[in-house]
Amino acid sequence: MPQDQAWQNGFGQLNHLDMTESPNLTKSWLRGQQTASRRGVARVVWLSLVGTMAAIAQAFCAGALLAQGLAGQMPSFAIAAAFAALALLRAGLGLLAERRAFTVSTQARSRLRADALAKMLTQGPALLRAQHSAALANVLVDRVEALDGLFARWMPAAALAMAGPALVVLAALPVDPMAALILAGCGLLVPVGMALSGIGAAAASRRQFVALQRLQTRFLDRIRGIATIVLAGRTEQEAEALRTSADALRQHTMRVLRVAFLSSAVLDCAMALALVLLALRYAQGSASPNVASPGVALAMLLLAVEFFAPLRAFAAAYQDRMHAAIAAEQLAALPEIPPAGPALPVRNVTARGVTVTFEDVDLSWDATRGKALDGLSFRLPAGETLVLAGPSGAGKSSVLEILLGFIRPDRGSVRINGADIVDLVPAALSALIGWMGQRPVLFAGTIAENIRFARPEATEAEIAEAARAARLDSVTAGLPDGLDTRIGDGGHGLSGGQAQRVAIARAFLKNAPLLLLDEPTAHLDPATEAEVFDSLRRLMAGRTVILATHSAAAASFGGRRLDLRDGRAVTGRAA
Amino acid sequence: MTALFRIVGLWRPQAAWLLAGGLVSLAALASLLGLLANSAAFAIGGAVAGGLTLRLLGTSRVVLRYFERLITHSALFRALAGLRVWFFRGLALRAAGGLGFRDAGDLLARLVNDVEALDAVYLRLLLPFAACVVLLPVLLVLFATVSPGLASIVGLLFALSAFVLPLVAARLSLSIGQQLTAAGAALRVACLDTLAGLREVRAFAAEGRMQALVAAREATQFAAEQRLSEAAGLAQAAAFLCAQFGVLAVLIAAGAHVSLVFIAAAAFELAGGMPRAGVFAGHAAAAATRLVQVAEGPIPVPDPASPVPVPANAALKFEAVHFRWAADRPPVLDGMTLDILPGSRVAILGPSGSGKSTLAALALKVVAPDAGRISIGGTDLASVAADDLRHHIAWLGQTTHLFADTIRANLLLGRPDATDADLWAALDDARIAAFVRGLPDGLDAYIGEKGANFSGGQARRLALARALLSRAGILILDEPCAGLDAQTEREFFAALNASAEGRTIILIAHRLTGAERLDRIYRLSSGHAVAAAR
Repeated sequence: MPQDQAWQNGFGQLNHLDMTESPNLTKSWLRGQQTASRRGVARVVWLSLVGTMAAIAQAFCAGALLAQGLAGQMPSFAIAAAFAALALLRAGLGLLAERRAFTVSTQARSRLRADALAKMLTQGPALLRAQHSAALANVLVDRVEALDGLFARWMPAAALAMAGPALVVLAALPVDPMAALILAGCGLLVPVGMALSGIGAAAASRRQFVALQRLQTRFLDRIRGIATIVLAGRTEQEAEALRTSADALRQHTMRVLRVAFLSSAVLDCAMALALVLLALRYAQGSASPNVASPGVALAMLLLAVEFFAPLRAFAAAYQDRMHAAIAAEQLAALPEIPPAGPALPVRNVTARGVTVTFEDVDLSWDATRGKALDGLSFRLPAGETLVLAGPSGAGKSSVLEILLGFIRPDRGSVRINGADIVDLVPAALSALIGWMGQRPVLFAGTIAENIRFARPEATEAEIAEAARAARLDSVTAGLPDGLDTRIGDGGHGLSGGQAQRVAIARAFLKNAPLLLLDEPTAHLDPATEAEVFDSLRRLMAGRTVILATHSAAAASFGGRRLDLRDGRAVTGRAA
Repeated sequence: MTALFRIVGLWRPQAAWLLAGGLVSLAALASLLGLLANSAAFAIGGAVAGGLTLRLLGTSRVVLRYFERLITHSALFRALAGLRVWFFRGLALRAAGGLGFRDAGDLLARLVNDVEALDAVYLRLLLPFAACVVLLPVLLVLFATVSPGLASIVGLLFALSAFVLPLVAARLSLSIGQQLTAAGAALRVACLDTLAGLREVRAFAAEGRMQALVAAREATQFAAEQRLSEAAGLAQAAAFLCAQFGVLAVLIAAGAHVSLVFIAAAAFELAGGMPRAGVFAGHAAAAATRLVQVAEGPIPVPDPASPVPVPANAALKFEAVHFRWAADRPPVLDGMTLDILPGSRVAILGPSGSGKSTLAALALKVVAPDAGRISIGGTDLASVAADDLRHHIAWLGQTTHLFADTIRANLLLGRPDATDADLWAALDDARIAAFVRGLPDGLDAYIGEKGANFSGGQARRLALARALLSRAGILILDEPCAGLDAQTEREFFAALNASAEGRTIILIAHRLTGAERLDRIYRLSSGHAVAAAR
């Protein structure tokens, strides 16, 4: 299917993190994470070891009861009671261990998610150029969740895989050294099998993650545009493409499991071998008569089950570890947060407003696509308005995105009140700026909540005032719940013009000295545009404003005008 | 629980795989019981089987267990992949008008997490349940040979662990499951909101707030997870005690029958997984409900039972159409009558909110009129299939989506069998061909999320090219030039005038540039269409 192939090509760049990460970085990262949880895990291990001891004692109780039964005696009440008491003890220990493991895992996941989110936020909007938000969310949600197995299962299981069987062998040794030897010998098969099955498993596991990420990205994108698909009459094609993605995920998952099941099979083999060897030993009377008593035989067979229990948990968790190692790759590959330098003060912001200068600025989004800005220079004094004009793709948005700190110029300097923009910490920069993009992102919630996003500590009155200033009140007056009307994800329930007014209201509420407007009226009819411009004009009073637009009506703003073409200033004149 | 049965019912196409998995798992169980009973009997009591039988049983156990795992998992993943496609189709059938109040992130959570929660149903619940149902009478018969009393004790404890406890656990965990599925979705929505809104977050310095939101949603999820884990732990402990006391009873009462001890131990181990599975079944039931809710909810405009084919090159006619979006909103169309002849070029003008886009939604059967009749070539829209209709009417709306894919894949949505020459011709007409030619990857350039790698105007023109590619006889262009500069707009109309010969064009706009070539112009006002001069 060519369409799907094209999709895969397009997706290639989304996974560059997978390709460039170094295995050593991931390993040391994983080690660091495990060290942080070691103490919690130790408790789980101790609880489980006490449980194993209780199980060993039970095996001997069972052997004794059986011996009495075979000899035709009445079973001893004391032994039966001990068996029951030990059962209760084991049940309680199991509960406690599970609880501890859960705590360890949630603490670790919480720490990892907060860490990954902080790193993504530090990188900022530039991330979205290379990656789909669904792929990023996949890292934040699913990859962090995949580490659950590492902390809750693998770490305790890895510690118990040696200690548990060792305890059992120690208990068997004084009773029947040969049986202990058989168990130990069969147990040694297990790591051999695991090593065998580990070959190729990492690659298979990585492909599984990529398939899952692809499926998620594809689906999120397709449902965001579901109306476009349905109205183009392409539902069936898309459903088929989704089936291809889902089948790819199934195949990759099965490839991982085939290997994982192999390690389980090696374990099954070792356990069956141990049982058969023990059975042969006791049946053929090769053991000395006092050792071959039925009670001892039963106890040894039961111990064999107990011997393999931690190993079974280990084999099951092996897959968790593999999964976690792959999940960790993208988490470990997130760049470290640079140490925060001293925030440069921006001089005289409130007294004199904000002056913006561009000096010989170059910018390219993508080396192969040429320059978006090519030696651009201009100076905008405080309190004045600059209209950026030019056809789409001329670089208007690039100017605004540099000022917003979404991207850094390749060359040249951009200064705000004399301070180079690269020296400003993001918080200091955003405090200066009010912004309205071409497509304001509105969240599911009420209209008031969406306005409040600009300044969470704002009062109800301030929000109502901002709505009024943005002429949003005429819209909300007709709605059943006014400002508390719920809107859907992406602003469903509001028209394009109404959504822009929410963005204007946000800018009013934020009340920042530098205002960046990116084609705020691109999708509006002339009457609405005039009203929005009217609101904007009041918003612009007393602020430094950069307005990117190709609307003829923008000429009414006066101020300076800069015509851009291919990232260069064509004309600059005062209107 | 009905939702869960519905989901299991959807697995019919994969029934052969699922049944095969069940049979292999029963065979693996039989070989385990044989191995345990024989090795115990061989070692201690009078040997019933030779060493060779033991080795055979041991080998078959290992082999069967491997294939059991492989086949059951493969069957399960086939079933889950089928569910994902079913979910998408169901959603598509109900979302022709867009997602509305459905949250994209929440839908993604349903497709990923809720579908995954269903794996417990087959692997942990249905398969062991089938095995337990087969095993219970076997146990009763076996232990009755020792004493009826022992048989009843073992049978009761087994039934308690295999059937009663899981049922209770499922009942109790249903509400926890609902909390967990909702919390998981809320966490994903918070992460997606933060990441898709990275620009807003940075511009408004909302980093700390979004971190707090994610942390709070995560805490809610962990709280629900903890309750589920607590419940699972308790169920496990109860099952463990059933098993232990069952084995103890056998040890005391049937000490002479060594193999029975091992059979009891193995049987109880199998049943011991059931109460925990019951807890997860509650979670799965909640997940199933969330899936069925979306994929099988009411359809806004259902297709007729036996649809009539849509006539080609036909007139589109609105007769006294009344429509309002909600009962408490004022009417948008109030007896509108409009006749659009085949091959004609019609403009429909009006300020925002006058019902221009509603008219497109009605023509595409996204919504149905409250009163009046819409027909295509004399055939009532109510009697045709929506999908068929949409192959005859192409639409470029204000919310048309560009997919995070290549330019080529985006264009092919308009006409899947288009050649490269067709694509370039459409790009030419949309006045974007020169730009695409300048891209290093040309048609295979990746356009980013919602077309983010291109400017707003470029993205709009790509959407335009896609609409022009369609072979539909009627083209509805809703503000095709929104966001384009005046010169590009004029060039586009010049190209449209030349290229779309013979097709019906319905241009929806708030104003005309003068470059359009039109046969009729209508103005929408107070719910009516009024013929207007230029």
